Amino acid sequence: MASDPEDILKTIAAMLEAGLETEVEPFPETDKEFADILIKLRQLDPNDLKGKLVIGGFVDHPYGPEQQRCMECMYYLVHRKWCDLPELAVPVEPEWWCRLWRI
Amino acid sequence: MANLLWLQGGACSGNTMSFLNAEEPSACDLVTDFGINVLWHPSLGLELGENLRRMLDAIVSGEIAMDIFVFEGTVVNAPNGTGEWNRFCGRPMKDWVADLAKVATFTVAVGDCATWGGIPATAPNPSESEGLQFLKREHGGFLGKDYTSKAGLPVINIPGCPAHPDWITQIVVAVATGRGGDLTLDEFQRPKTFFTSFTQTGCTRNMHFAYKVSATEFGQRKGCLFYDLGCRGPMTHSPCNRILWNRVSSKTRAGMPCLGCTEPEFPFFDLEPGTVFKTQTVMGAPKDMPTGVDKAGYIKLTAAAKAASPAWAEEDLFVV
Ligand code: SF4
Ligand code: SF4
Ligand code: SF4
Repeated sequence: MASDPEDILKTIAAMLEAGLETEVEPFPETDKEFADILIKLRQLDPNDLKGKLVIGGFVDHPYGPEQQRCMECMYYLVHRKWCDLPELAVPVEPEWWCRLWRI
Repeated sequence: MANLLWLQGGACSGNTMSFLNAEEPSACDLVTDFGINVLWHPSLGLELGENLRRMLDAIVSGEIAMDIFVFEGTVVNAPNGTGEWNRFCGRPMKDWVADLAKVATFTVAVGDCATWGGIPATAPNPSESEGLQFLKREHGGFLGKDYTSKAGLPVINIPGCPAHPDWITQIVVAVATGRGGDLTLDEFQRPKTFFTSFTQTGCTRNMHFAYKVSATEFGQRKGCLFYDLGCRGPMTHSPCNRILWNRVSSKTRAGMPCLGCTEPEFPFFDLEPGTVFKTQTVMGAPKDMPTGVDKAGYIKLTAAAKAASPAWAEEDLFVV
Protein backbone atom coordinates (compact mmCIF):
# COMPACT_ATOMS: atom_id res chain seq x y z
CA MET A 1 0.00 0.00 0.00
CA ALA A 2 1.23 3.50 -0.81
CA SER A 3 2.29 5.37 2.32
CA ASP A 4 2.34 8.96 1.08
CA PRO A 5 -0.96 10.62 2.12
CA GLU A 6 -1.33 12.17 -1.35
CA ASP A 7 -1.08 8.73 -2.95
CA ILE A 8 -3.47 7.18 -0.46
CA LEU A 9 -5.94 9.99 -1.09
CA LYS A 10 -5.78 9.27 -4.81
CA THR A 11 -6.24 5.55 -4.20
CA ILE A 12 -9.32 6.17 -2.03
CA ALA A 13 -10.75 8.64 -4.55
CA ALA A 14 -10.32 6.10 -7.33
CA MET A 15 -12.01 3.34 -5.31
CA LEU A 16 -14.99 5.55 -4.50
CA GLU A 17 -15.23 6.81 -8.07
CA ALA A 18 -15.24 3.25 -9.33
CA GLY A 19 -18.43 2.73 -7.33
CA LEU A 20 -17.19 0.90 -4.24
CA GLU A 21 -20.28 -0.19 -2.28
CA THR A 22 -19.92 1.00 1.31
CA GLU A 23 -22.18 0.60 4.37
CA VAL A 24 -23.65 4.10 4.35
CA GLU A 25 -26.68 2.86 6.28
CA PRO A 26 -27.57 2.45 9.04
CA PHE A 27 -26.32 5.75 10.41
CA PRO A 28 -25.27 5.22 14.06
CA GLU A 29 -27.97 7.11 15.93
CA THR A 30 -26.72 6.31 19.40
CA ASP A 31 -23.32 6.18 21.03
CA LYS A 32 -23.68 2.42 21.38
CA GLU A 33 -24.18 1.99 17.63
CA PHE A 34 -21.27 4.33 16.99
CA ALA A 35 -19.06 2.32 19.35
CA ASP A 36 -20.07 -0.92 17.61
CA ILE A 37 -18.78 0.41 14.28
CA LEU A 38 -15.53 1.42 15.96
CA ILE A 39 -15.14 -2.10 17.33
CA LYS A 40 -15.48 -3.52 13.81
CA LEU A 41 -12.92 -1.05 12.49
CA ARG A 42 -10.46 -1.97 15.22
CA GLN A 43 -10.51 -5.57 14.08
CA LEU A 44 -9.17 -4.57 10.65
CA ASP A 45 -5.55 -4.49 9.63
CA PRO A 46 -4.67 -0.77 9.88
CA ASN A 47 -3.59 -0.91 6.22
CA ASP A 48 -6.88 -2.37 5.04
CA LEU A 49 -8.09 0.70 3.18
CA LYS A 50 -11.02 -0.98 1.49
CA GLY A 51 -12.25 -2.42 4.78
CA LYS A 52 -12.16 1.01 6.41
CA LEU A 53 -14.08 2.60 3.53
CA VAL A 54 -16.74 -0.12 3.50
CA ILE A 55 -17.36 -0.31 7.25
CA GLY A 56 -17.05 3.47 7.59
CA GLY A 57 -19.67 3.96 4.89
CA PHE A 58 -17.61 6.42 2.83
CA VAL A 59 -19.07 8.45 -0.03
CA ASP A 60 -17.23 11.01 -2.18
CA HIS A 61 -19.92 13.70 -1.92
CA PRO A 62 -21.90 15.52 0.81
CA TYR A 63 -24.59 13.40 2.40
CA GLY A 64 -28.17 13.75 3.62
CA PRO A 65 -30.64 16.65 3.76
CA GLU A 66 -28.14 18.72 5.75
CA GLN A 67 -25.42 18.10 3.18
CA GLN A 68 -23.03 16.81 5.79
CA ARG A 69 -19.35 16.77 4.86
CA CYS A 70 -15.97 15.88 6.32
CA MET A 71 -15.39 19.64 6.28
CA GLU A 72 -17.41 20.20 9.46
CA CYS A 73 -16.79 16.80 11.06
CA MET A 74 -14.98 17.01 14.39
CA TYR A 75 -12.39 14.55 13.19
CA TYR A 76 -11.41 16.46 10.05
CA LEU A 77 -8.12 18.35 10.08
CA VAL A 78 -8.49 21.08 7.47
CA HIS A 79 -4.85 21.79 6.74
CA ARG A 80 -3.75 18.21 6.57
CA LYS A 81 -6.92 17.08 4.76
CA TRP A 82 -6.91 14.22 7.24
CA CYS A 83 -9.48 12.19 9.16
CA ASP A 84 -8.13 12.11 12.71
CA LEU A 85 -10.51 9.45 14.03
CA PRO A 86 -7.89 6.93 15.23
CA GLU A 87 -9.83 3.97 13.82
CA LEU A 88 -9.83 5.53 10.33
CA ALA A 89 -6.70 7.74 10.18
CA VAL A 90 -6.85 8.32 6.44
CA PRO A 91 -6.53 11.35 4.15
CA VAL A 92 -9.95 12.65 3.02
CA GLU A 93 -11.39 15.42 0.85
CA PRO A 94 -13.51 18.11 2.58
CA GLU A 95 -16.54 17.27 0.40
CA TRP A 96 -16.58 13.59 1.32
CA TRP A 97 -18.54 12.01 4.14
CA CYS A 98 -18.73 8.82 6.14
CA ARG A 99 -21.25 7.53 8.67
CA LEU A 100 -18.93 8.23 11.59
CA TRP A 101 -19.48 11.93 10.94
CA ARG A 102 -19.88 13.91 14.17
CA ILE A 103 -19.87 17.57 15.03
CA MET B 1 -7.69 31.25 68.10
CA ALA B 2 -10.39 29.32 66.23
CA ASN B 3 -11.30 25.76 67.13
CA LEU B 4 -11.77 23.41 64.20
CA LEU B 5 -13.25 19.91 64.27
CA TRP B 6 -13.10 17.69 61.17
CA LEU B 7 -15.12 14.48 60.93
CA GLN B 8 -15.60 11.93 58.16
CA GLY B 9 -18.78 10.12 57.14
CA GLY B 10 -19.18 7.97 54.03
CA ALA B 11 -15.97 8.96 52.31
CA CYS B 12 -12.75 7.76 50.69
CA SER B 13 -10.57 10.25 52.61
CA GLY B 14 -9.67 11.96 49.34
CA ASN B 15 -10.45 15.39 50.73
CA THR B 16 -8.26 14.72 53.75
CA MET B 17 -5.43 13.76 51.37
CA SER B 18 -6.07 16.90 49.40
CA PHE B 19 -6.13 19.07 52.53
CA LEU B 20 -2.83 17.62 53.77
CA ASN B 21 -1.26 18.58 50.42
CA ALA B 22 -2.27 22.23 50.71
CA GLU B 23 0.43 24.78 50.01
CA GLU B 24 -1.10 28.23 50.13
CA PRO B 25 -1.59 28.10 53.04
CA SER B 26 -0.51 24.63 54.15
CA ALA B 27 -2.20 22.65 56.92
CA CYS B 28 0.75 23.56 59.20
CA ASP B 29 0.40 27.26 58.33
CA LEU B 30 -3.18 27.10 59.53
CA VAL B 31 -1.92 26.24 62.99
CA THR B 32 1.25 28.35 63.18
CA ASP B 33 0.22 31.48 61.24
CA PHE B 34 -3.55 31.64 61.38
CA GLY B 35 -4.26 30.52 64.93
CA ILE B 36 -6.35 27.52 64.06
CA ASN B 37 -6.58 24.91 66.77
CA VAL B 38 -7.41 21.53 65.27
CA LEU B 39 -9.50 19.93 68.01
CA TRP B 40 -9.56 16.66 66.14
CA HIS B 41 -9.12 15.34 62.61
CA PRO B 42 -9.22 11.67 61.51
CA SER B 43 -5.59 11.74 60.34
CA LEU B 44 -4.18 14.27 62.80
CA GLY B 45 -6.19 13.86 66.00
CA LEU B 46 -4.41 12.49 69.05
CA GLU B 47 -7.38 11.42 71.16
CA LEU B 48 -8.74 7.91 70.89
CA GLY B 49 -11.71 6.02 72.28
CA GLU B 50 -13.16 7.39 75.52
CA ASN B 51 -11.04 10.54 75.42
CA LEU B 52 -12.40 11.45 72.01
CA ARG B 53 -15.92 10.71 73.10
CA ARG B 54 -15.48 13.01 76.10
CA MET B 55 -14.20 15.76 73.80
CA LEU B 56 -17.16 15.40 71.43
CA ASP B 57 -19.58 15.46 74.37
CA ALA B 58 -17.90 18.62 75.66
CA ILE B 59 -18.31 20.26 72.25
CA VAL B 60 -21.97 19.29 72.04
CA SER B 61 -22.63 20.64 75.55
CA GLY B 62 -20.89 23.93 74.71
CA GLU B 63 -18.09 23.40 77.21
CA ILE B 64 -15.62 23.52 74.30
CA ALA B 65 -16.45 26.10 71.64
CA MET B 66 -16.34 24.86 68.05
CA ASP B 67 -15.84 27.68 65.57
CA ILE B 68 -15.55 25.57 62.44
CA PHE B 69 -17.15 22.19 61.89
CA VAL B 70 -15.77 20.56 58.75
CA PHE B 71 -17.52 17.48 57.48
CA GLU B 72 -16.12 15.19 54.78
CA GLY B 73 -18.17 12.35 53.30
CA THR B 74 -21.86 11.63 53.14
CA VAL B 75 -24.27 11.34 55.98
CA VAL B 76 -25.05 7.62 55.92
CA ASN B 77 -28.65 6.78 56.86
CA ALA B 78 -28.66 3.05 56.10
CA PRO B 79 -30.04 0.71 57.16
CA ASN B 80 -33.59 2.03 57.23
CA GLY B 81 -32.74 5.51 58.39
CA THR B 82 -30.83 4.36 61.47
CA GLY B 83 -27.31 5.29 60.31
CA GLU B 84 -25.96 2.14 61.96
CA TRP B 85 -23.76 1.40 58.94
CA ASN B 86 -21.52 4.30 59.91
CA ARG B 87 -20.92 4.29 63.64
CA PHE B 88 -18.39 6.57 65.30
CA CYS B 89 -17.50 6.98 68.95
CA GLY B 90 -20.29 4.78 70.18
CA ARG B 91 -23.21 6.03 68.10
CA PRO B 92 -24.27 6.59 64.49
CA MET B 93 -22.23 9.35 62.87
CA LYS B 94 -25.44 11.00 61.72
CA ASP B 95 -26.40 11.63 65.35
CA TRP B 96 -23.05 13.32 66.00
CA VAL B 97 -23.52 15.46 62.89
CA ALA B 98 -27.00 16.52 63.99
CA ASP B 99 -25.75 17.54 67.45
CA LEU B 100 -22.51 19.18 66.31
CA ALA B 101 -24.15 21.19 63.52
CA LYS B 102 -26.35 22.85 66.16
CA VAL B 103 -23.38 24.24 68.09
CA ALA B 104 -21.05 25.08 65.17
CA THR B 105 -20.36 28.74 64.45
CA PHE B 106 -19.61 27.80 60.83
CA THR B 107 -20.33 24.48 59.14
CA VAL B 108 -18.26 23.58 56.09
CA ALA B 109 -18.97 20.61 53.79
CA VAL B 110 -15.81 19.50 52.01
CA GLY B 111 -16.00 17.41 48.83
CA ASP B 112 -18.92 16.18 46.77
CA CYS B 113 -20.01 13.53 49.26
CA ALA B 114 -20.55 16.04 52.06
CA THR B 115 -22.01 18.72 49.79
CA TRP B 116 -24.52 16.70 47.73
CA GLY B 117 -23.88 13.02 48.15
CA GLY B 118 -21.37 12.48 45.34
CA ILE B 119 -20.57 8.95 44.28
CA PRO B 120 -22.05 7.14 47.34
CA ALA B 121 -25.45 8.77 46.72
CA THR B 122 -25.49 7.63 43.08
CA ALA B 123 -28.43 5.35 42.28
CA PRO B 124 -29.24 2.91 43.77
CA ASN B 125 -27.60 4.63 46.78
CA PRO B 126 -27.35 1.53 48.98
CA SER B 127 -25.99 3.47 51.96
CA GLU B 128 -28.94 5.92 51.84
CA SER B 129 -26.38 8.69 51.65
CA GLU B 130 -27.05 12.41 51.44
CA GLY B 131 -25.09 15.60 51.68
CA LEU B 132 -25.33 18.03 54.58
CA GLN B 133 -27.75 20.39 52.88
CA PHE B 134 -28.33 18.92 49.43
CA LEU B 135 -29.06 15.58 47.85
CA LYS B 136 -27.72 16.07 44.35
CA ARG B 137 -29.54 19.20 43.08
CA GLU B 138 -32.33 18.98 45.64
CA HIS B 139 -32.07 21.46 48.51
CA GLY B 140 -32.54 19.94 51.97
CA GLY B 141 -30.15 17.10 52.59
CA PHE B 142 -29.52 15.83 56.12
CA LEU B 143 -29.68 19.18 57.93
CA GLY B 144 -32.69 20.50 56.02
CA LYS B 145 -32.90 23.52 53.78
CA ASP B 146 -33.50 26.00 56.61
CA TYR B 147 -30.37 25.08 58.55
CA THR B 148 -27.99 27.88 59.43
CA SER B 149 -24.97 27.68 61.68
CA LYS B 150 -24.62 30.04 64.65
CA ALA B 151 -23.00 32.63 62.38
CA GLY B 152 -26.21 32.73 60.36
CA LEU B 153 -24.80 31.11 57.24
CA PRO B 154 -26.03 27.89 55.64
CA VAL B 155 -23.50 25.10 55.15
CA ILE B 156 -20.56 26.44 53.14
CA ASN B 157 -20.17 23.94 50.30
CA ILE B 158 -16.70 23.29 48.92
CA PRO B 159 -17.40 20.61 46.32
CA GLY B 160 -14.95 18.61 44.24
CA CYS B 161 -13.90 15.00 44.01
CA PRO B 162 -11.71 15.87 45.80
CA ALA B 163 -11.80 19.60 46.49
CA HIS B 164 -8.59 21.43 45.61
CA PRO B 165 -6.42 21.88 48.75
CA ASP B 166 -6.36 25.66 48.46
CA TRP B 167 -10.13 25.95 48.18
CA ILE B 168 -10.33 24.23 51.56
CA THR B 169 -7.58 26.08 53.40
CA GLN B 170 -8.45 29.51 52.01
CA ILE B 171 -12.05 29.19 53.12
CA VAL B 172 -11.00 27.90 56.54
CA VAL B 173 -8.62 30.86 56.91
CA ALA B 174 -11.31 33.32 55.84
CA VAL B 175 -13.65 31.95 58.48
CA ALA B 176 -10.97 31.73 61.19
CA THR B 177 -9.83 35.30 60.64
CA GLY B 178 -13.31 36.71 61.01
CA ARG B 179 -14.03 37.19 57.30
CA GLY B 180 -16.63 34.42 57.14
CA GLY B 181 -19.41 36.99 56.94
CA ASP B 182 -17.87 38.39 53.74
CA LEU B 183 -18.22 35.10 51.89
CA THR B 184 -20.79 35.23 49.14
CA LEU B 185 -22.28 31.94 48.12
CA ASP B 186 -23.97 30.86 44.90
CA GLU B 187 -27.30 29.02 44.64
CA PHE B 188 -25.54 25.79 45.67
CA GLN B 189 -23.84 27.52 48.59
CA ARG B 190 -20.43 27.41 46.92
CA PRO B 191 -18.13 30.36 47.64
CA LYS B 192 -18.41 32.60 44.59
CA THR B 193 -14.75 33.48 44.73
CA PHE B 194 -13.94 29.98 43.47
CA PHE B 195 -17.06 28.83 41.70
CA THR B 196 -18.17 31.65 39.42
CA SER B 197 -15.88 30.91 36.48
CA PHE B 198 -15.69 27.64 34.58
CA THR B 199 -13.08 24.91 34.24
CA GLN B 200 -12.76 26.23 30.72
CA THR B 201 -11.65 29.64 32.04
CA GLY B 202 -7.91 29.57 31.52
CA CYS B 203 -7.87 26.23 29.72
CA THR B 204 -4.97 26.05 27.30
CA ARG B 205 -7.21 24.35 24.75
CA ASN B 206 -9.64 27.24 24.33
CA MET B 207 -8.34 27.98 20.84
CA HIS B 208 -9.03 24.41 19.85
CA PHE B 209 -12.52 24.76 21.28
CA ALA B 210 -13.08 27.84 19.11
CA TYR B 211 -11.64 26.22 15.98
CA LYS B 212 -13.40 22.94 16.66
CA VAL B 213 -10.32 20.79 16.56
CA SER B 214 -10.88 17.67 18.61
CA ALA B 215 -8.54 15.67 20.82
CA THR B 216 -9.33 12.08 19.96
CA GLU B 217 -7.30 10.27 22.60
CA PHE B 218 -6.28 10.93 26.21
CA GLY B 219 -3.07 12.84 26.66
CA GLN B 220 -3.00 14.34 23.16
CA ARG B 221 -1.48 17.77 23.25
CA LYS B 222 -3.62 19.11 20.44
CA GLY B 223 -7.35 19.55 20.35
CA CYS B 224 -10.20 20.30 22.70
CA LEU B 225 -11.57 17.47 24.81
CA PHE B 226 -15.19 18.61 24.44
CA TYR B 227 -16.08 17.19 21.06
CA ASP B 228 -15.18 13.58 21.56
CA LEU B 229 -13.99 12.87 25.09
CA GLY B 230 -16.89 14.36 27.02
CA CYS B 231 -15.11 17.33 28.61
CA ARG B 232 -17.54 19.24 30.82
CA GLY B 233 -15.27 22.27 31.11
CA PRO B 234 -17.70 24.71 29.48
CA MET B 235 -20.51 23.87 31.92
CA THR B 236 -18.61 23.19 35.16
CA HIS B 237 -18.05 25.88 37.77
CA SER B 238 -14.50 25.46 39.02
CA PRO B 239 -11.23 27.40 39.01
CA CYS B 240 -9.17 24.34 37.97
CA ASN B 241 -7.40 26.25 35.21
CA ARG B 242 -6.91 29.38 37.35
CA ILE B 243 -5.71 27.76 40.56
CA LEU B 244 -3.65 24.91 39.18
CA TRP B 245 -3.32 21.51 40.79
CA ASN B 246 0.05 21.00 42.45
CA ARG B 247 0.74 24.49 41.14
CA VAL B 248 1.56 23.09 37.69
CA SER B 249 -1.31 21.45 35.90
CA SER B 250 -4.96 20.55 35.56
CA LYS B 251 -6.91 17.71 34.05
CA THR B 252 -7.40 19.44 30.71
CA ARG B 253 -3.75 20.50 30.54
CA ALA B 254 -2.78 16.88 30.93
CA GLY B 255 -5.18 15.80 28.20
CA MET B 256 -7.90 14.46 30.45
CA PRO B 257 -11.47 15.77 30.21
CA CYS B 258 -13.11 17.62 33.07
CA LEU B 259 -15.68 15.30 34.61
CA GLY B 260 -17.71 18.10 36.13
CA CYS B 261 -16.91 17.08 39.68
CA THR B 262 -17.94 20.37 41.29
CA GLU B 263 -21.53 20.13 40.06
CA PRO B 264 -24.35 18.44 42.01
CA GLU B 265 -25.04 15.83 39.32
CA PHE B 266 -21.55 14.38 39.46
CA PRO B 267 -21.03 11.54 38.56
CA PHE B 268 -23.18 12.23 35.50
CA PHE B 269 -25.68 9.79 33.95
CA ASP B 270 -25.40 7.61 37.07
CA LEU B 271 -22.22 6.12 35.59
CA GLU B 272 -24.17 4.15 32.97
CA PRO B 273 -21.70 2.23 30.78
CA GLY B 274 -20.57 4.30 27.79
CA THR B 275 -21.41 7.67 29.33
CA VAL B 276 -18.02 8.45 30.87
CA PHE B 277 -15.31 10.08 28.75
CA LYS B 278 -17.72 10.33 25.82
CA THR B 279 -19.61 13.32 24.49
CA GLN B 280 -23.25 12.31 24.24
CA THR B 281 -24.57 12.76 20.71
CA VAL B 282 -27.78 12.23 18.79
CA MET B 283 -27.49 11.66 15.04
CA GLY B 284 -23.90 12.88 15.11
CA ALA B 285 -24.63 16.21 16.85
CA PRO B 286 -24.05 16.99 20.55
CA LYS B 287 -27.03 16.18 22.77
CA ASP B 288 -26.49 19.45 24.63
CA MET B 289 -26.42 22.01 21.78
CA PRO B 290 -25.60 25.60 22.63
CA THR B 291 -28.94 27.21 23.54
CA GLY B 292 -30.90 28.59 20.60
CA VAL B 293 -28.79 26.94 17.88
CA ASP B 294 -30.34 24.33 15.59
CA LYS B 295 -28.45 21.51 13.93
CA ALA B 296 -28.25 23.13 10.48
CA GLY B 297 -26.96 26.35 12.03
CA TYR B 298 -24.45 24.45 14.13
CA ILE B 299 -23.15 22.63 11.04
CA LYS B 300 -22.62 25.96 9.25
CA LEU B 301 -20.93 27.47 12.28
CA THR B 302 -18.64 24.46 12.57
CA ALA B 303 -17.62 24.61 8.92
CA ALA B 304 -16.84 28.33 9.25
CA ALA B 305 -14.81 27.82 12.44
CA LYS B 306 -12.82 24.99 10.90
CA ALA B 307 -12.19 26.91 7.69
CA ALA B 308 -10.76 29.76 9.77
CA SER B 309 -8.52 27.58 11.93
CA PRO B 310 -4.77 28.14 11.68
CA ALA B 311 -2.45 25.26 10.81
CA TRP B 312 -0.89 25.18 14.26
CA ALA B 313 -4.25 24.23 15.74
CA GLU B 314 -3.74 20.80 14.18
CA GLU B 315 -0.24 20.28 15.54
CA ASP B 316 0.68 18.76 18.87
CA LEU B 317 1.37 21.61 21.25
CA PHE B 318 3.29 21.57 24.47
CA VAL B 319 0.43 22.62 26.66
CA VAL B 320 1.47 21.88 30.23
S1 SF4 C 1 -15.14 10.52 10.46
FE1 SF4 C 1 -15.57 12.58 9.74
S2 SF4 C 1 -13.66 13.31 8.79
FE2 SF4 C 1 -13.52 11.10 9.05
S3 SF4 C 1 -14.16 10.34 7.08
FE3 SF4 C 1 -15.96 10.31 8.40
S4 SF4 C 1 -16.97 12.27 8.00
FE4 SF4 C 1 -14.90 12.43 7.18
S1 SF4 D 1 -10.58 20.90 26.89
FE1 SF4 D 1 -12.51 21.18 28.04
S2 SF4 D 1 -12.16 22.99 29.28
FE2 SF4 D 1 -10.57 22.99 27.70
S3 SF4 D 1 -11.39 24.21 26.01
FE3 SF4 D 1 -11.97 22.09 25.61
S4 SF4 D 1 -14.02 21.87 26.52
FE4 SF4 D 1 -13.09 23.70 27.38
S1 SF4 E 1 -11.11 19.65 36.06
FE1 SF4 E 1 -13.29 19.20 36.38
S2 SF4 E 1 -13.35 17.08 37.14
FE2 SF4 E 1 -11.24 17.84 37.38
S3 SF4 E 1 -11.15 18.67 39.45
FE3 SF4 E 1 -11.67 20.38 38.10
S4 SF4 E 1 -13.91 20.47 38.13
FE4 SF4 E 1 -13.31 18.47 38.92
